[in-house]
Amino acid sequence: MRPENEAADGEALRLRNVTKLFGQFKAVEDVSFSLGAGSICGFLGPNGAGKTTTIRMVLEILRPTSGDITVLGRPSALEVRHRLGYLPEEKGLYKKMKTWAIIAYFATLKGMTRKAAKRRAFELLERYGLKDFAEKPTDALSKGMGQKVQILASIAHDPELVILDEPFSGLDPVNQGVMEDLIRELAERNRTVLFSTHVMEHAERLCERILLIARGRLIFNGSMAEAKRTVPRRVRLETEDDIAPLRDLAEVSAARPLPRAKGQAHGGDQGVLQWELELRENSDPQVILQTCFNRRIRLKSFNQSDPTLHDVYMRLVGPEAKEAAFR
Amino acid sequence: MKCALLVAWREYAENAKTRGFWLGLLLFPLILFLSIQVPVLLEQRATPVRYFVLVDPSRGLAPAIEAALEKSFQRQMLAALKEYARKNEVPMTTAPGEGAGPAGRRPAPSLADLNEGDALSLETFVAKGGKGFFLAQLGPRLRPGAPPFQEPRRLFQQVKLPSTINPKAEVASIAEDLKPYLRQDKLVEADGSPVQLAAAILVPPDYESQIVRPQSRSPAAGPRPSASAGQIQFWSANASDPRLREEVERAVNTEIRRREYLARGMDAGVIEQVEHTYVPLASLNPKKEKGREAMGTADTIRQWAPSAFVYLLWVAIFSVMQMLLGNMIEEKSNRIVEVLLSSVTPGELMMGKLIGIAAIGLTMVGVWLAAAFGILIWKSGGPSEITGQVFLVLRTSNLVPMFALYFFLGYLMYAAFILSVGSVCNTLKEAQSYMAVMMLLMMVPLMTMTFIPKDPNGPLARVLSWVPLYTPFIMMNRATADPPLVDVAGTLVLLLATTIAALYMAGRVFRIGILRTGQPPKVVEMLRWALRR
Repeated sequence: MRPENEAADGEALRLRNVTKLFGQFKAVEDVSFSLGAGSICGFLGPNGAGKTTTIRMVLEILRPTSGDITVLGRPSALEVRHRLGYLPEEKGLYKKMKTWAIIAYFATLKGMTRKAAKRRAFELLERYGLKDFAEKPTDALSKGMGQKVQILASIAHDPELVILDEPFSGLDPVNQGVMEDLIRELAERNRTVLFSTHVMEHAERLCERILLIARGRLIFNGSMAEAKRTVPRRVRLETEDDIAPLRDLAEVSAARPLPRAKGQAHGGDQGVLQWELELRENSDPQVILQTCFNRRIRLKSFNQSDPTLHDVYMRLVGPEAKEAAFR
Repeated sequence: MKCALLVAWREYAENAKTRGFWLGLLLFPLILFLSIQVPVLLEQRATPVRYFVLVDPSRGLAPAIEAALEKSFQRQMLAALKEYARKNEVPMTTAPGEGAGPAGRRPAPSLADLNEGDALSLETFVAKGGKGFFLAQLGPRLRPGAPPFQEPRRLFQQVKLPSTINPKAEVASIAEDLKPYLRQDKLVEADGSPVQLAAAILVPPDYESQIVRPQSRSPAAGPRPSASAGQIQFWSANASDPRLREEVERAVNTEIRRREYLARGMDAGVIEQVEHTYVPLASLNPKKEKGREAMGTADTIRQWAPSAFVYLLWVAIFSVMQMLLGNMIEEKSNRIVEVLLSSVTPGELMMGKLIGIAAIGLTMVGVWLAAAFGILIWKSGGPSEITGQVFLVLRTSNLVPMFALYFFLGYLMYAAFILSVGSVCNTLKEAQSYMAVMMLLMMVPLMTMTFIPKDPNGPLARVLSWVPLYTPFIMMNRATADPPLVDVAGTLVLLLATTIAALYMAGRVFRIGILRTGQPPKVVEMLRWALRR
């Protein structure tokens, strides 16, 4: 039985002005966002930003101090807990339990019958290359395998909303790819996925939307394209000549020399410098190239690229993250 | 509730697979079995035969000592025969002693009528011909395939004085010559093989000069010389086994007294009759039904059975506590708990654990009880005397239901503590400091366990009963002593209230503690969580 209101507004999750205090400490402050059904959303932020606390509140493991949360159209995650899947940040399994049994156990806790849960466990293990380990205790698994098992355990009951806290950590590149496919497949079947990660590439490849949180506050909530627009486009060039004409362009908002890479100080390239020019919004990098040509600025290299999510992240939360790291 | 049961089932299934569980399950019956069987085996096989020499040139006391040791051996023999009969005899359809002799004559006594502790019985046994007679009597009634009777070994065996020693010499000189043998530097010969000499009894010809009489205490006055002339000497390098010395001393003094009676003109026959005259003492219990006040084996069992149950209760609660803690710490340190909490509420998780581990504990206790009965039945050679009595006591008393009740409540109360500790600790090491306190508290009922039955309604028992932490153990200990109703009901209500409060508080600590990482909090802080509104 699925609640009608979820289908009606197509929303899998909504947070409204959610705040969580631990004593005097504001772990999460006034966070509001919503996730459409079938979307993949990346939840990014530095360590200690409040991601895990937010996720725990969504799952009602913790209660918010104020604000309200609607999960699959219901005011309490407990009411729909059988339709939620969760992979926590810190992963662990019962060491002595058999691999299939642990997947089946979590599936039965989510309302599946024993028989169906067992069948599903074997099916998942086979599909994800762990068939040979099905009957082994989980302490016989490598760290990566163990993590894969845990992810499988979190989706065994085919949840509608899947929350994955750092699903890629500990996986080798091949299995990271497998996991990305798994997430995409969930979305294709109209399942909603919210995952947190510190590896921007995954988020960049998977997400339609990202949420950025720092110091307990949501500092960005929007599409990937919107996120990238927050970072000015950059052009990198290498020349011996004076770049003053480029600085004067209306399109260029800033120009700074880049530190030389090791080994470049020697050899015949004395006087060659690398520059990074920051462009204003909606500027065309071709203008720079044109100007170089017109003003006879001899280029050794010219490189123009779109900003990455990493750039977005560093720009939006970089200072915060550094501060948090030294706190 | 369904989730709680799922958690409970997993707890049960996974704990039942652990080595610790099986070890606990088997170790208890094994220990019980060994504690019954090993002393018997040691007695039968490992107790060394004590070889001794008896030097009594005047033959004044030797016959008395020899007769006493023989009597003691016959006592052993009678006991062994009775044990053999109990194990191998087909249950009789006639009354004991009946049908053994022709009509008109006094029927011949059967083994069942004889009691090795009773002097008259023993005399009858010997007079009838001892082992031979009774084995023949037993013969037709033995079950088919019964093993042959094995005669017990003589504990004390007399050997001849080594040939190098002159038996006619002075006692002091014989003692000197025997020293190397007694120190086991040299061996004596018994039935052709060399053996160690355990003791030497030297009776000097003038031993009578040393007899102490009430009117003339001269030899006892002043410090005793190491071995004054005329004194009977018992030489042995082994001071830890006094049995031979006691036997000899008793035999010698009985003989001396017998001679005193004779010397004072009493008749030997009369003396013997007087010595065998006694009046039995009936042990009665005023609490028992009129006409049935006599105390029997069942009453002794009834008095001591609660102690056994207290011990069982203690071991059971202690073992399941260990399991619960280990399990909590695993979930906590592995962070499994967070996944669990996305599927079940902390309340369901806690309830599931409580039920699962309780089931494990009950399984363990059930197996122990079954094993204990099994061993009792086996040891008593079929469902006979003692087992029957134990069953009777268990059936007619409220021991088993009380055990179940106190196990349940005691378990929940202590589990509340463990759940609180387990929820805040990430490693067993962190939990150790809390556990040490609990261990200390839990030692009290174990220490008072054997004292309480002696004074089950005394001040100590009553005061401790009102301490909820000890109520299950102490009230169990007093179970068959009819404690006052106010104690039974009052302590139960208090225990129930404490258990509910402890579980409620544990639930609150559990909810907060379970997701906590880092150093465990102080007890004061945990109490604050538990009591905060």
